[in-house]
Amino acid sequence: MKIKNKISIVTLFALLIIMLNGCEDMFEPAVENHKDTEDLYNMPGWATGLLGHAYISNPLGSWSFNDVATDDAVSNDPNNGYRQMATGSWRANNNPMDRWQYLRASWQYLNQFIFLADGVNWAADPLVAEMFRDRMKGDAFGMRALYMYHLLLNHAGWAEDGQLLGIPIVKEPEDLNSEFNLPRNTFQECIDQLYADVDSALMLLPEDYGEITDNNQVPAKYRAKGVNAGQYTRVFGDNAKNRMSARIAKAVRAQAALLAASPAYSDGTDVSWEEAANLMAEVLSGLGSNPVSQIDPTGNIWYANSQAIQNLPAGVNPKEILWRGNKEESLDLERDNYPPTLFGSGRVNPTQNLVDAFPMANGYPITDPQSNYDPNNPYAGRDPRLDLYILRNGSKAGPQSTVITTAADGSDNNALNRVETSTRTGYYLKKLLVQTVNANPSSETQAYHYKPFIRYTEIFLGYAEAANEAWGPTGTGTHGYSAYDVIKAIRQRAGISADDPYLESVKGDKDKMRELIHNERRLELCFEGFRFWDIRRWKKDITQPAKGMRIEDGEYSVLDLVERRAYQDYMYYGPIPYGEVIKFDNLLQNKGW
Amino acid sequence: MKQIYIGLIFCICFLLNFSNASAQETEMLAWENDTIDNKVEVAFRAINQRDLLGGVSVIDVEEMTKKAYTTYSLNFIENLIGGVSGNIWGMDEYLVVIDGIVRDANNVLPTEIEQITILKGPAAVVLYGSRAAKGVVQITTKRGKVGAPTINIRANTGIHTPKAFPKYLGSAEYMTLYNEARVNDGLDPSYSEEDIFRFASGENPYRYPSLDMYSSDYLRKAYNRSEAIAEITGGNNRVKYYTSTGYYRENSLLKVGNSKNNYTSRLFVRGNVDMNLRDFLKVQADANVTFYDSYSAAGNWWSNAASLRPNRVAPLIPLSYLEENDIPSWAAINASNYILDGKYFLGGTQLNPTNPIADSYAAGDSKFVSRQFQFNTLFDFNLKSLLQGLHFRAKYGIDYALTYNQGYTNEYATFEPSWTNYAGSDMIASVTQYGTDNKTGDEVISNSAYRYTYNFSGQFDYTRTIDDSHNFFGMIVANGWQRQLSGQYHRITNVNLGLQASYNFNHKYYVDFSSASPYSAKLPEGNRLGFSPTLTLGWRPVKEDFFSDTAFDDLMLTLSGGIISQDLDIATDDNEMGYYLYKSILQRGGWYSWADLGGEAATEFQRGNNPSMTFVKRKEINLGLRGSLWDKLVSFDFNYFSGKMDGDIARVSSLYPIYFTQVGYPTSSIIPYVNYNIDNRSGFDFSIYLNKKVSEVDLTLGVSGMYTSTEAAKRDESFEYDYQTRIGRSVNGLWGLESLGFFNDQEQIDSSPTQQFGDVAPGDLRYKDQNGDGIIDNNDEVFLGRWDTPFRLGLNFTAKWRNFTLFAMADGFYGGHGFKNNSYYWVRSDNKYSDIVRNRWTEETKGTATYPRLTTTNGANSFRNSDFWLFKTDRLNLSQVQFTYDIPKTAFEGSFVNGVSLYIAGYNLLTISNEREHFERNVDSAPQTRFYNFGVVGTF
Repeated sequence: MKIKNKISIVTLFALLIIMLNGCEDMFEPAVENHKDTEDLYNMPGWATGLLGHAYISNPLGSWSFNDVATDDAVSNDPNNGYRQMATGSWRANNNPMDRWQYLRASWQYLNQFIFLADGVNWAADPLVAEMFRDRMKGDAFGMRALYMYHLLLNHAGWAEDGQLLGIPIVKEPEDLNSEFNLPRNTFQECIDQLYADVDSALMLLPEDYGEITDNNQVPAKYRAKGVNAGQYTRVFGDNAKNRMSARIAKAVRAQAALLAASPAYSDGTDVSWEEAANLMAEVLSGLGSNPVSQIDPTGNIWYANSQAIQNLPAGVNPKEILWRGNKEESLDLERDNYPPTLFGSGRVNPTQNLVDAFPMANGYPITDPQSNYDPNNPYAGRDPRLDLYILRNGSKAGPQSTVITTAADGSDNNALNRVETSTRTGYYLKKLLVQTVNANPSSETQAYHYKPFIRYTEIFLGYAEAANEAWGPTGTGTHGYSAYDVIKAIRQRAGISADDPYLESVKGDKDKMRELIHNERRLELCFEGFRFWDIRRWKKDITQPAKGMRIEDGEYSVLDLVERRAYQDYMYYGPIPYGEVIKFDNLLQNKGW
Repeated sequence: MKQIYIGLIFCICFLLNFSNASAQETEMLAWENDTIDNKVEVAFRAINQRDLLGGVSVIDVEEMTKKAYTTYSLNFIENLIGGVSGNIWGMDEYLVVIDGIVRDANNVLPTEIEQITILKGPAAVVLYGSRAAKGVVQITTKRGKVGAPTINIRANTGIHTPKAFPKYLGSAEYMTLYNEARVNDGLDPSYSEEDIFRFASGENPYRYPSLDMYSSDYLRKAYNRSEAIAEITGGNNRVKYYTSTGYYRENSLLKVGNSKNNYTSRLFVRGNVDMNLRDFLKVQADANVTFYDSYSAAGNWWSNAASLRPNRVAPLIPLSYLEENDIPSWAAINASNYILDGKYFLGGTQLNPTNPIADSYAAGDSKFVSRQFQFNTLFDFNLKSLLQGLHFRAKYGIDYALTYNQGYTNEYATFEPSWTNYAGSDMIASVTQYGTDNKTGDEVISNSAYRYTYNFSGQFDYTRTIDDSHNFFGMIVANGWQRQLSGQYHRITNVNLGLQASYNFNHKYYVDFSSASPYSAKLPEGNRLGFSPTLTLGWRPVKEDFFSDTAFDDLMLTLSGGIISQDLDIATDDNEMGYYLYKSILQRGGWYSWADLGGEAATEFQRGNNPSMTFVKRKEINLGLRGSLWDKLVSFDFNYFSGKMDGDIARVSSLYPIYFTQVGYPTSSIIPYVNYNIDNRSGFDFSIYLNKKVSEVDLTLGVSGMYTSTEAAKRDESFEYDYQTRIGRSVNGLWGLESLGFFNDQEQIDSSPTQQFGDVAPGDLRYKDQNGDGIIDNNDEVFLGRWDTPFRLGLNFTAKWRNFTLFAMADGFYGGHGFKNNSYYWVRSDNKYSDIVRNRWTEETKGTATYPRLTTTNGANSFRNSDFWLFKTDRLNLSQVQFTYDIPKTAFEGSFVNGVSLYIAGYNLLTISNEREHFERNVDSAPQTRFYNFGVVGTF
C-alpha cells in the first residue's frame, strides 16, 4: 500500500475517533435524567418527593438549641449565631431566627403538590389511588398548617400601622409571572388559614396510621366504596406511621391557638384562652377519657433509655410522644455537649437563672421562706429534675458515672472557664444526652436517639396554661380536668413531694398559678427550643442577663453577668427579611425593625 | 448545525484523498525551509512579526533562557511585555495552548520552549473559539533543525532559604495577654501568676511547654533543589528531531520525623519530530511524558503552626521523667510503638490528643503522584497542485493525566503526664493515654482523578503574494477540543469554525477580517451557534513618503474591533460545567424518612426556564501603536482597549421573592439564569525597550506595564442606600465599614450610634454611621478600594560585556488594596497570639494603641472588614537577577565541546514596599523562600 493511502486511512480513522468521542456535549448536551412538572402525573414517587421536600425542611426536624439566646443557657462557642444575636447583633438583615425564606420555599412545594395531587396517577387500583390521593393531600394540608404556625412564631408582629400581621397567604403555586408585591395578611387571617388547612387534613387523614386486618375496621367512607382491609393497609398502614395524621394536625392547631391567645398576640386575634384550652383538650382526648391519668410516667426522661428506644417497634411511639422522627444511633449530641473530660465540647451551658427556677423537692420555689433552700448548699433537696437535666458541680455523668467538677478550682478541664470547651456558667447540659454514650474517639459507643416533634407533656402544659386563664386553676371547662390536675400530675411525675403544699397554696390564685405553670413549662421543656418564644408570647422580661455559678474553696458565688441579653423592646417579635421589604413596598416590616 | 460540522469533516477527508491522488504526479521537492523571518506563532498560523496587527505580544523564550534561567514556563509573561497580570487585560482567566493543544502551563519547562505568544485582543483570539475569549497564552516548544546532532546539557543546583516567619508569642506572654483578654470580657484570668512564671522560666519545657513550630529543632535553614536537563536536536531533509529529558528534585524545609524525607520530583521526556514524508506532506509528531511525585509526612504542619497555641502540648517528653518503679506508666508507654531515639515518648492532652510533631513521626505519610502523557500530531498537506499557496493542515492531540495519593494513615497513642515535684525536681506521677496505636499495613490510594483532553483542528489556508505587493491570506478552520474530568458527567467543550481573510498592500495598508462561529451545547437549541466577527485595519505611515524623514525606523497603527461570543461564563458555582443552565430542572434531591423506615428521595426544582439564553459577548475596540526610533534605540508597543463583557448570566433575584430560592438543605430554586450582567472594562498596556551600546557594553532596559479597570455597568441589586450600589464601581471592590478609631470609654460608646455586631467595649473599633440611622450595621459598608492590581509594572535590564551577561528583572504592583484579616491579624477567642497584639488597646495605652482590645469572644464588632484593616498592596519585587559567563569558544577548539556557560542567579530577592513584612510572611502555609541557583550549560 502506498504511503499516502496509509496516511489518508490513518487520518480518516483519527477523524472518526474525534467524531465518536465528540458526540457527547459537543453538539448535544449529554443526556440528564431531568423531568418536567408534567411528568409527575405518571410518577407518583417523584410527585410525593415534592411533599418529601417539605418533610426534609420540617421546622421541628432537629434541635435548634436557640435556648442559648434566652435566660436558660449560653453557648461556649464564640461563633454561635444565637450567641451573636443575643449579645446585640440581631437585625432584619442578620437574623439567625429567619424562617421566611426556608419555610416559605418549602411552602411553595406544598402548594405545588396540592395543585398536582388530584391529577397524579397514584396507583393502578382506583380505590387505592383514591385513598393515596386523600392521604397525600391531607398530609400536605397538615404540613402547611405546621409551616404556618412556625412562620407566625418567627415572623408575626405588629406593624407601624397598628395591625398584627402574619405572612402573605399564598395558596397557589407561584411562577415567575405571579404577583409578588403582596401585603402580609393579618395574623387572624393566617390563623384562619391554618385552621382551614387543619380542617382539610382532618377530612382526609385518619387519627393514626397502622395495619388493619378486618374489613370492618375500614373507615365507613371507604368501606362504602368497597375498600377492604388489605387495600386500606396499603395506604394507611404501618409504613405511614409518623407521617402527618389527624392527631398531629390537631396538635398543630392547638399550638397555634395557644400562641394566638397569648398576651403578645391576643389583641390582634379573636382566639380566646378557652378556645386554646378546648383545642388542647381535643388533642389530649386521644389519650383516653381521663388523659391526666394517662401521663407517661417516664415522659420527662423520654430520651434517656437508649435500649428502650432501640426496642421500639418501627414507627411506634411511646405514650409521651405524639409525633417523632426516626430513631437513629449516634453520638453527636453527646460529643457536642458532654463536659470536656468526657470528650465533649460542653457547648450548651445552662444558666443559674434556670437552676434557680427548679423548686425544692418539697415543691416550694427556692425564694419561698418555706423552701428550706440553703444558698451554701444550693443543690441539696432540690426538685429531682434539676439533676436529671443539668450537670452541676459534683454531678455524675457518662458511661463510667464520672464525677464532674465544675468548680473554678477544679483540677481538670471541666472547671469553670478553664479551656475553650469548659462551661461558662458552672453547668453542663445533661438533658437529651444518653449517658451510656462514650465519646472517646478511640472507644466510641453510640446510642439510640430520636427527635420528638411533639410531646404530650407540651400539650398538657398548653392545656394547663390556657385552662388556667380561661377557667381558673381548678376550672375544668367541659373536660373533667383542670390546670391544677395537670400540674399536679406533672409535678408528681417529677418527684415533688406527694402533698405538694406549694401547689395547694396557689390553686386558688390564678396569677400565682400562672407563674407556676409558666415555670413548669420552662423546666419540662427546657433546651427543646421553647423558651425563646415562650417568654416573648408571655411578654416577660427578655433582657434578663444569663447568670452563672462560681465555686471556689467550696464557696458559692453567683456570677451576675455571664452574658447580656441585648434585646430591645421591639424584639418580642422577629423581623421579616430586610431585603424583601426593600424589594416589595406592600410588605410592611414589624415595628422597630 | 451538527450536520454542517460533520459535513465539513467529511469534506476534509475527501479533499485529503483527492490531494493525495493529485499530488502523486508532482516531483519530490527539497524540504521547504521556513521562510518567515521573525516568525511569530499566532492562532493556527505563523506570521512575520512586522505584520502583527496589535493585541499580540511575543517573547523569545529560547533567547531569554540564555541569560535568565527559570523553572516556570510563564515567569516572563508578566514582565517582559505588557498586558498580563495574573490575567490578560483584566479578564479573569486565560487559555493556555501548547503547540496548538489545550494544556497546562506548568507541564512544560522554559528550556523546552521556543516562543510564547500572548493573544490579547479579540481579533487575536477569535479563531480559537469560545473558550479562548478571555485571552490565550500560546506556547510553542522547540523543534529540530537541520544539522548534525547537538547535545545540550544543563545542570542546576540551588538552595531555598525562607524569607520570614510569622512571629507568635511564647507561652508566658500568650498566657499573660490571654488573661488580659479574659479580664476585658469580665471573666477571671485563666492562668495564675505562678503558672505564667513557670512557663516563663523555662525550667521544665515538658511540663511548661512553649512550642515554637518555627524553631530550628523542626526547620532547616535551607533546602535544596537540583536539576539536570539534556536536549538532543538535529535532522536532515527528511527528519528533524528535538528531544529533551530532565529530572529535578526538591526537598522541604521540614526536618522532623518522616518530614525530613519530604521531596518533590519531576521526570520528563519530550520528543518533537518533523518528518518530510513527501514533497507535499509534512508530518509532525510530538510526545511528552511527565512523572511528578510529591512525598510528605502526615500532618498539616503549616496550618498547625498558625493555630496551635504554644502552651497546649509538649510533643515529646523524655522517658527520664518516669520513675523506675512506676510500673503502670512504664507498661503503658512501653506498649507504644513510638519511643523516639530511645528517649522520648509522645505527649498529648485530652484537647490535643495528636500534634503535628507526633504526626510527623507516627501518623504515616502520603505521596501525591501525577502522571501526564501527551501526544499530538500534525499533517501538513501542500495543495499547490490544486492551487499555489494552498495548504491543508490537520492537528490531533490526545492528553491523559492521572493523579492520586498513595500512603499510609496510622493512628497513634499519646500520653499526658501528671506531674509531681519531689525535692525540687519534677517527676511524672502517672500518665493518661489518649488514642491507640493503630498501624495499618495497607497502603491507601486516595483522591484518584483522571483527565482526558482531545484536541482536533483542520484548516485550509491560502497564502499568496501578487506583484510583490498584494499579500493575501485566507483560512477556514474547524477547531474542537474536549476535556473529560473524573467525577464529572459533562465535558468541557469547545467547537468552532473559524474564518480569516487578510490583505495587505506592501505591508503598508492592512485589512483583516477574522471571525468564528462557536457552537455551544450549553445553550438552548436554536441559540447554540454564535458568531464572532472582528475587523482590523492597519497602517504603517513610515512607508508613506511624507514620513520618510522622521526619526522613526518603524511605526505601525492598528485599529481593531470585534465581538466575541463565549460560553466560558455560562457556568455557575454549583454547575461548573454549565450544561442545561437554560432549563428548568426537576430532579431527585435530598432524602426523608419516617416510621423508622429507610425513607425515600425527595424531589426538587432547580432553576427556571430561559429558552433565550445566549452567548456572553466580549465587545471591544483596540488601538495599537508600535514602532521604533533612532536606529532601534527605542522600540515601543502600546495597546489601548475598551469594551464590555455583555450578558453574563445571573439570577435576577430582585424581581422575585427570596423564597424562590432555598439555601441549605434541602436546596431549591425556580429562578432562571438570564444573560444580565454587564462589565465595562478598559485600560492600556505598553512596553518600551531602550537598546544602547555604551563603549563595549550592550545595555537593554525594558519597561512594560498595564493599567486596567473593570466596572460593573449592570447588576441585579436592591440597595436601600445609593452608596452601596455596585454599579459604576470596580468589580474587584473591597467593601467594609469606615472606622473612626477606638472607643476610648463607655461614655463615648453610649453617645455614639449603636453598633449592632455584638458586644462593644472601650478599645473596640468605632465606625461611621453612613446613613445616619443611628445604627451601625451592614448597611453602613462602603466601597473601600480595589483588591486587584490596577497598575502592573515590569522592569528588566540586561548588560552584556564580552562574555559576561547580567540580567535583572523587577515586578511592580500599584493601586491595589487588601484587608489584613487572616489569623495573624485577627487574633481573638482561642486563636494563637501573634506579635501584632503587643500594641493592643488598654486603658493605659489608649493614646498609642494600634490594635483593638483583646477578647476571648469572636470580637465580631472589631474583627470585620473595615478600613482599619485596609492596606495598600503597592510593592516592587526584585524577582530575578542572573549573572552569566559564556566560556569563550576558543577554549574548546578541537574538542567535542561547542560551548559552556556558567551562571548564578537569585530569585525573589527583595520586596520594596511599606508592607514588606506582610508580603514576605506566609500564614497558614509554607514560608516564601529566596532561591539561589548555580547552573552550568554545555553544548556538544
